Amino acid sequence: MTTIWKKAIRDFWQERARTALVVLAIALGISAFAAVLSSYAILTRELDRGYLETNPASAVLRVDSIDNDLVKAILQNPEVSDAEPRRTIGGQIKAGPVQWRNLILFVVEDYGNIRVSKLVPESGAWPPANGEILIERDAFQVAKVNIGDAVTVKTANGVETPLVISGSVHDVGQAQARMENIVYGYTNLATLVQLGEEPRFDQLNILVAQNRFDEDHIRRVANDVEKLIESRGHNVRRVDIPRPGKHPHSDLTGILLLAMSSFGLFVLVLSGILVINLLTAMMASQVRQIGVMKAIGGTRWAVARIYFAQALFLGIAAVIVSIPLGILGSRALCQYMAMFLNFDINSFAVPIWVYLLVALIGVIAPLIAAAYPVWRGTATPVRVALADFGLSQANFGAGAFDRALTRIGGTFSLIAFAIRNSFRRRARLVLTLLTLAAGGLFFLSALNVRASMVNTLDRMFAARKSDLTISFARGYEFEKIQKAVSNTAGVKRAEGWFTGEGSLGERRFTVVALPGDTQLLDFDIIEGRKLTPQDTDAIVINNALAGREPKMRVGETVVLRIGTEEKAWRVVGIAREAFAPSPVGYVPLTGTVNSLRLALDNADPDSIGALKTELDRNLEAEGIRARGSSTKGESRFGFDQHMVMIYVFLIVMSAIVGGVGGLGLMTTMSLNVLERRREMGVMRALGATPRIVWLMIVAEGVVIGVLSWTIAALLAWPVSKAIGDSLVKVMFHSGLDFTFEPLGLVIWMLVSIGLSAVASFLPAWRASRVTVREALAYE
Amino acid sequence: MISLNHVSKTYETPAGKFAALKDIDLEIRPGEFVGVVGKSGSGKSTLLNMVAGIDRPSSGSVAVAGTEIHALSENKLAAWRGRNVGFVFQFFQLLPTLTAAENVMLPMDFSKTIPLRERRKRAVELLDLVAVRSHADKLPATLSGGEQQRVAIARALANEPPLVLADEPTGNLDSVTAKEILDLFRNMANRGITVVIATHEADIARVIDRKIEISDGKIHPQISQI
Repeated sequence: MTTIWKKAIRDFWQERARTALVVLAIALGISAFAAVLSSYAILTRELDRGYLETNPASAVLRVDSIDNDLVKAILQNPEVSDAEPRRTIGGQIKAGPVQWRNLILFVVEDYGNIRVSKLVPESGAWPPANGEILIERDAFQVAKVNIGDAVTVKTANGVETPLVISGSVHDVGQAQARMENIVYGYTNLATLVQLGEEPRFDQLNILVAQNRFDEDHIRRVANDVEKLIESRGHNVRRVDIPRPGKHPHSDLTGILLLAMSSFGLFVLVLSGILVINLLTAMMASQVRQIGVMKAIGGTRWAVARIYFAQALFLGIAAVIVSIPLGILGSRALCQYMAMFLNFDINSFAVPIWVYLLVALIGVIAPLIAAAYPVWRGTATPVRVALADFGLSQANFGAGAFDRALTRIGGTFSLIAFAIRNSFRRRARLVLTLLTLAAGGLFFLSALNVRASMVNTLDRMFAARKSDLTISFARGYEFEKIQKAVSNTAGVKRAEGWFTGEGSLGERRFTVVALPGDTQLLDFDIIEGRKLTPQDTDAIVINNALAGREPKMRVGETVVLRIGTEEKAWRVVGIAREAFAPSPVGYVPLTGTVNSLRLALDNADPDSIGALKTELDRNLEAEGIRARGSSTKGESRFGFDQHMVMIYVFLIVMSAIVGGVGGLGLMTTMSLNVLERRREMGVMRALGATPRIVWLMIVAEGVVIGVLSWTIAALLAWPVSKAIGDSLVKVMFHSGLDFTFEPLGLVIWMLVSIGLSAVASFLPAWRASRVTVREALAYE
Repeated sequence: MISLNHVSKTYETPAGKFAALKDIDLEIRPGEFVGVVGKSGSGKSTLLNMVAGIDRPSSGSVAVAGTEIHALSENKLAAWRGRNVGFVFQFFQLLPTLTAAENVMLPMDFSKTIPLRERRKRAVELLDLVAVRSHADKLPATLSGGEQQRVAIARALANEPPLVLADEPTGNLDSVTAKEILDLFRNMANRGITVVIATHEADIARVIDRKIEISDGKIHPQISQI
């Protein structure tokens, strides 16, 4: 090893405490990046692998009825490798006195031979015997049941049937039950008969023989199958083609991980700032050594190599520390995401390319950060470098800004002194403020985005005036329903709505028919107007539909197919619906209704439960069967669950960035103390006690903390809004009703002061321990 | 060996222009031991810097061993210095994190004139030459001033330069040590190395071949020839 490398290593060892801080900061950045990158690699692999292992259906056809002959005929098509009938039926479930929960019941023909969209048995019975039901593993918490519990299940026909929960299954393709607030159940045809339903299948899952990931091919095959079914006298209600080979949550996961990766890189950039600070200070303290090296034959590059080598050591050390940390972090993140998305991870193995990329970025980032300070530091001419008198001679007071600072605080005080001192090394101050303010910005943004989401949801739910929605399996005359409602106490207002499907050309959307003078939906009109009782051919569309269909502009007339009828509709308004990515059109109600919207006198869960029981009875008395129900509170819970992931992400981000900022401040303060060691000796010689020296440095750190808070507070509004808007836009295709959380400013002020005081404590303590003789002798 | 022709050096200072050297003409022969004597601020360090290529003249030319050094770029100058000039400073200027032997090896590592494997051996030999071989593996902070200056001299000889420049090499040493150090420089000159020392020590006359007196940036007309 040449002396050049030896010097690089020993200089770092000499500054080991500071070096360790910087390594830690870089390691934090690389760990965050490594954790996210590994998670990305693991989750995308495991999510799609787990999903593909279930042999997901290439296409799902909703048919009036399916028999074995029809399945056999479809399997004659060589393009179809498999076809399996199922039945999906809506209903309700309850265990004991617990109120009814919405249930989606899947009826499987032969549990011993599921070939398409397989289920994975988890525990208990398999297959379910007659009179038994299996529950999706994530839905147990929603249903509030355990294996072995007796439950009551009813479908739209209203027949309440006692069943036993005999086991748990994992249905990889379903959304998380907790988030959707739905119970997924699995049973057989015989049990379906017990529930009073016809023993028939109405859903056909097909698997294409070739090109399983080619959506166009699948569509062509599905069309052929649709034609065949229709040619045999059946009616195909709908054909769904899921994204081939991709878990339904694959995109959402990808977006989240992409956001996290950007954040990991951002933290890495922030830690690079610390490298700049450390190396700038180190080079400034070695100006004379640089001069000597150049005087004895060192070229600029030869000298620069020493400091680049140090940056390289920083990177290597940080990579060594951060890879295990990153792997641990990725495990935690993957487990959280797997729980959130309800899938299992078989292997946490991290691909080699992740290690290589992390190592490469970890090593290169400090080198890039070092480039400017090293190149600038080695540019000093030999004569100037040899004449350097040390850093304590750095000028302060030459500029107008310095002189302006002297007017702060009037006469001398600790704070005034701390303010002036903090501005002595301005480039370093700016870089330190940048890291600290970034931490503050993320923290404030996390709180503001959370407050804005809550605000948006509050506004959205405030527009929905119904506390309870009862859905029916078919359409009923509203007058008949109203009779049942009028016999039920506690109802403030009731409206009958009809929810169906419409289409513009090939593209489908949800159509909601509601009274033109509805009091239970307060449209947030962004263009045009809302519906009126006089409207007959008017349609109000939500922003999602307006975004998807450019033809549907206010004032335009479009021909839509709603149900079986094709008719011209006039677009009269566009309503904004936050967090509603599905396109919806609202039209005036003309016929029967398939849901009942109720505004209640008391909307607490107990009152709603009691009212529902009474209403069910009254509806049954009128011969009306409810298929399901949902309360405003339950819908809100589902939305809140979706938001939790964003809050957690933002808070974790701010904690890591704040940590890097704290380490940055600690490095800055220790460099400031080092450079002013002789000055402190002079102060001590003049009578300053160690406590005053200690206080002086802590005060300086706190001044920097308060300055960073000011920057973060000033930028918090626009940055929070931008982060919130972009996150919500990417995840939910909608905007955010921004609101500023003032409490965040108070909390971050306290955190900033605390963090600054803690970060400067150690350098201050060390400075106060140096004897006057040592301090004055320091060069 | 060294030829300065009409060399002037003027610095811009906040107080105005300051002429450190004024129209200097100087010739130094190979193997000559020259003492540049003058008061503090007289221009002797500037003169030495000109010869080492550490500073550039405002006007005039500097040629050392046939190389017009004022025309070289900073990087070429550094490389040239590494092979041709050994420099000894008043405050020794050893790198604190390198041992004595490593300090001596540093110019060899920069210039790469000596094979890697032989560098340590040569450094120890040079330390032996200046009588500090036993301190080869010690860090500078553990050495006395005289020992540090001996190491600095060994470092100056690392690449066998034909020219050694020393700026106040005894200025920070006691009289006994200063005498020993001057003897070392004398030995160098005896071995054919050109040595130029800037000093304000009066008793340097004992060891040097020629004394150049400098004041106010000019060489004194009465140049003493020993």
